[in-house]
This record gives sequence, C-alpha cells and structure tokens, in this order.
Amino acid sequence: MRRLLGAVIAGLCALALVLPSTAPPPSRAQGVDVYINITGGGTKKLNIAIPNFAVTVGSDTTGVAPLLASVAGADLTFTGLFSVVAATGSIPADHPEALRKSWTDFAAAGAHAGVHGLLALRGPRLEAEMRLYDLTTPDFRLIASKRFEMAADQPRRLAHKVADEIVRQFTGEPGIADTKLAYVAGSRGVKEIQVADYDGAAARPLTRNGSLNLMPMWSPDTRSLAFTSYKAGYPDLYRAFPFERRPDQTLAAFVGINSSPAFSPDGRSIALTLSKDGNPEIYVLTLATGAFRRLTRHPGIDTEPSWSPTGRDIAFVSDRAGGTPHLFVMDTEGGNVRQLTFGGFHTQPRWSPKGDTIVYTTRQATHDLWAINPDGSNARRLTSGPADNQGATWAPNGRHLAFQSSRLGAWQLFSMLSDGSEQTPITRGSGEYTSPSWSPRLP
Amino acid sequence: MASRCRNGIIVSLLLCVVVLAGCAKRPAMTAASAPAPTGAAQATTPPAPATPAPEPPAATPPAPTPAAPTAAPASRPPVQEFAANPNLKDIHFDFDKYDIRPGDAKILDGNATWLKGNDVLVLIEGHCDERGTNEYNLALGERRAKATMNYLVGQGVQAGRITIISYGEERPVCTEHTEACWARNRRAHFLSKPR
Repeated sequence: MRRLLGAVIAGLCALALVLPSTAPPPSRAQGVDVYINITGGGTKKLNIAIPNFAVTVGSDTTGVAPLLASVAGADLTFTGLFSVVAATGSIPADHPEALRKSWTDFAAAGAHAGVHGLLALRGPRLEAEMRLYDLTTPDFRLIASKRFEMAADQPRRLAHKVADEIVRQFTGEPGIADTKLAYVAGSRGVKEIQVADYDGAAARPLTRNGSLNLMPMWSPDTRSLAFTSYKAGYPDLYRAFPFERRPDQTLAAFVGINSSPAFSPDGRSIALTLSKDGNPEIYVLTLATGAFRRLTRHPGIDTEPSWSPTGRDIAFVSDRAGGTPHLFVMDTEGGNVRQLTFGGFHTQPRWSPKGDTIVYTTRQATHDLWAINPDGSNARRLTSGPADNQGATWAPNGRHLAFQSSRLGAWQLFSMLSDGSEQTPITRGSGEYTSPSWSPRLP
Repeated sequence: MASRCRNGIIVSLLLCVVVLAGCAKRPAMTAASAPAPTGAAQATTPPAPATPAPEPPAATPPAPTPAAPTAAPASRPPVQEFAANPNLKDIHFDFDKYDIRPGDAKILDGNATWLKGNDVLVLIEGHCDERGTNEYNLALGERRAKATMNYLVGQGVQAGRITIISYGEERPVCTEHTEACWARNRRAHFLSKPR
C-alpha cells in the first residue's frame, strides 16, 4: 500500500509537469522518472475503497448491499486501473462524523478515493446512490454523486453501472462492466449460444434447439444477435432478440453457407458470407430492404468480414494469395483491396472500436492472437502458446479483448488487455466455451 | 491544491488508459472533459422502464423488422431424410486444401458409377479438421463438398440430384489431436435418399 501510494503521489507530481496551470513539483527529476515509468507500461493504480453499501430503505434480506460492493470492486479491479482497498462494514448515511472517520482510516491505509454507497430497497426496485470522494484532499472532497435504479432481480447490473460511472469520473469514458458476452457452449455436434455478463456471471441460454449454433455477433444497439444455426438442417443465418419476447428472424437461408455475420457500425447492414453463387463470397445485407449486395468476386474463399468503426472499410479473410488464408481490407463497394498479411495462415480479423488495430489469429504450431495496424504495419504477437488462443472480440472501449484458449484443457473464455497483458479466465466451467462476442455498452 | 491533486488523479489514470490501450489518439485535453468536482449531487439517471422481458429492459422502440429476405432456398431437401449409404465411399483432403487427390478421384469414379445406376438423391457433407478456425473451416468444408460435387457432375451425375452441406470442423469422426486423426476428419461424406 505504502509503495503504491507513494508511486501514485509521485505520479501526480510528475503529471503536474504537463499541467500548465499548476505549480512545479518539489522534485522535477523524481517526477520525470516516474512519468517515464508510467509510459513504459508500469501499472500504477488508483487505490479505491468501496465499503458495503448502507441500507437506507427496506430490509436487505438477500445481501444486495455487500454484493454491490464486491461486484463493483471486481469491476474496478478488472479495468487494470484500480486497486480495491479491502473493507468491511458500511458507512452510515447522514453521519458526517462517521464518514470523516472512515475516510481518514482509508486514507491512512493508502486509499486515494472512496465510494460511499447508499442502497434503498423498494419492493421490485433497487435504488443505489454512489458518492465518490477524493481521499487525497484534506477535506475529502466530493468528486461526484449519482443515483441508479434497477429491477430488484438485477443487483449485479446495478453494481456494474456504479463501477462504470466511477471509471467515467476518472477517465472521461464509461467503463465496460455493463456489457454482455455472447458465446458458444458445447462441443462436437451440439453447440448452443449463451449470453452472460461480461465477467461470465449470470449465464443464460440464447438458443435451445439441440443443433449447431455458431458465430454469435452483437448488433451495435445490443438488442439483437446474428448467428449461424443448423436448426433447420442447413447452416442458415438468424437474428435473435435476447431481451425481448420475440421469435428469431431468418436473415439468410440460401443454398450453401450463410455465415460470419458482422453488423455495420450504424446497425443498418450485416456483412456476411454466402456461397449461393458458387463459392464463399462476402455480401452486405441491408436490413430494411432485405437486399443483398455482393462485394467479392473471386474463385477462392472470401469470408469473415469485420467493419472498421467508420463503416468505410471491411477487413476479411481470403485464400486468393497462394492458397492459405490471409487478411485483406476492402472498401464497402468491394474495391481498393489491400493485403495485410503475407506468409503463414491468418484468420479471424476483428477491427478495434477505436479503429487503430485489427486483432487476428495466426496458425503456426498452435493458434495465437496477433494485432496489426490497418495499414499492415506493426504486426505484433499478443499470446504465446503452448495451447491455442483464438477467436478474439473487442470490449467497446478497445482496451480489453475476450478470446478462447485451450490452455486449461477444454476451450474456455479468457480476457486480456489489448497489449496481451493480464490474461485472466472468464469461464471456468466443465464445458467448452468458444466464439465470444463482446456486446457494446447496454442502453 | 486540492483541485490540482484531483486533476492529477484524473490525468494519471488517463495516461494509464492511453498507455495500456496503446493508442495515443485520445489527447490529453480529454482530462478537461472529465466531469468537474462540484460538491453537489449530479443529475440522477432516469430509471429504466419496468418490463416483463428479461434484462436488460428495452430502452427504445422495437427495432424495425427487416423485410423478409429474398433468401428462399431454391430447393433444399430436408437433411434428416438422408441416410448413410455403404455404396458411397468417403474421400479425404490434404490440410487446408480442397482439390481432389488422384487416389480419391478413383473413389469418386466408383461413387459416380453407382449413382448412375441408382436413381437416388445425394447429400455431400464437407468436413475439416480442428486446425484453422471455425469460420474459415466452414468455408473450407463448403469448398470440399463443392469440389466433390463438381467431380461427380463431371462424371455424368446430374447436378440436380446433389445437395451439399458444410459442417466445417464441427462434426469430427475422430477427436484425438494427431495427424492421423486430423486426416480422417478432412473428408467429404455421402448420404442418400430415394427420389
């Protein structure tokens, strides 16, 4: 704790150098050193205290108050930006003396920020208030306060919203805890799609048809998922609405494969692979009209489209160059085709939400995740065997990736930061979990 | 002093974000757009509407239903009506290839001869081994089934009698992680049904 506190405070002093309106730090040289340390990939974290939420209304018979603190704490830890200072008990509401004493204790333990949480249980509704304090200031300044409401059966989601707001207060961009992962569960013959919280909790089935259900992909508004299913015998493309009582839509059921869906950033179109005209080619389906527009015209395999966040370009996989699959980029008319990878075996391009990176899978002795700039430069390895690591999907902030790995034996989902660090299991069940798709932030 | 320290916290985290994301596109100015400390409660989030549907609640009107796709299949006989046929032998493929090997062409010649003497419909399944990735293997299995179909058509079997389906790597006959096993999985498999 002491070391972290010192590092962060030194970091603050270093940062004073880049803030024109602030006074010079006590020691410029020391500040510069720390600054370099941070840019060099150091993991200086902000220590934050999240005691249990104080119950102000109702009776907390199911332990919502401690759940909020533990889930929000885990969310903040996941970001890689925070360390959660251990805490027990709660700080009572409307008790300035108790609040001051708690923050004094937490500050002494190394906390830089504190969350005073209040919880009202009102029958079918939960109301939480998050008050965020700066514990590095002598008067424990209130940084922000915000209230949230949620159905009583969704306490985890309430915690995710609190955590995302805390992240927004410190970084200017909301966190990604209030997101979902869709993925494929099962192996060999029967695979069903499930939807869980981003951390793997609260998994629920999306499909239950006993066939092969593959390649789930979220729509930008998080209301629907496109996927390929063999439920009618052939690999057809469907769209499911996980949060509505609404039947699946059939999007494409042509002769051949109907696969690899990718929603355009505006949600109006889906790029996909069809082989109806003789071999796998990439098309764009306009959802409002049901019209299909063909983008590729090549006798080889063209598949796995992934839109740039601007919607102007599409990365894809083709075996047109030498017979093994490579990454290419084209515009949305199918023109200006550029090859990104040369030599080897490369599939699964996924354009980052910020647009600056394409992550993909390279097959050597094993499969591993790589990243490359959209201009084909700076190819860099993110994972290293000995097991297989593939099928990456971006979190909406572009900082995290989820992927599937066989390092524990069966396929499990993992997450990591976009530089390949902090690889952590998401699923730990006895089954096989593959093909994750990370949702945008929920509305 | 207090204000400077808090700005320091914010900018410090911003730097972490920029560094960890490996993306320098977010300018340092973003710090200024972070909400300023006010000491007063900020706006309360609007409560999400109650709904009987599973979480999360829909916050906007239902998305427009896409027009019915012009995807009506020309003719795809139900897959489950096809059954194994011992007269039609599997063929196999090299890794990441979909061309018919000479030895397998002889097998297909035998299958073609049988099909020309027996007026059944045929379903050709294209399969891959577990290497490569699912999406690409679905396309690869399609190419294997198609190449097999084209060969049979070249031998005089009516194209209208043949349906193809790719299972990619999803239905292996062998689940060990060995070349011998992978070689068995890279196959075209035949099923048939009476007309």
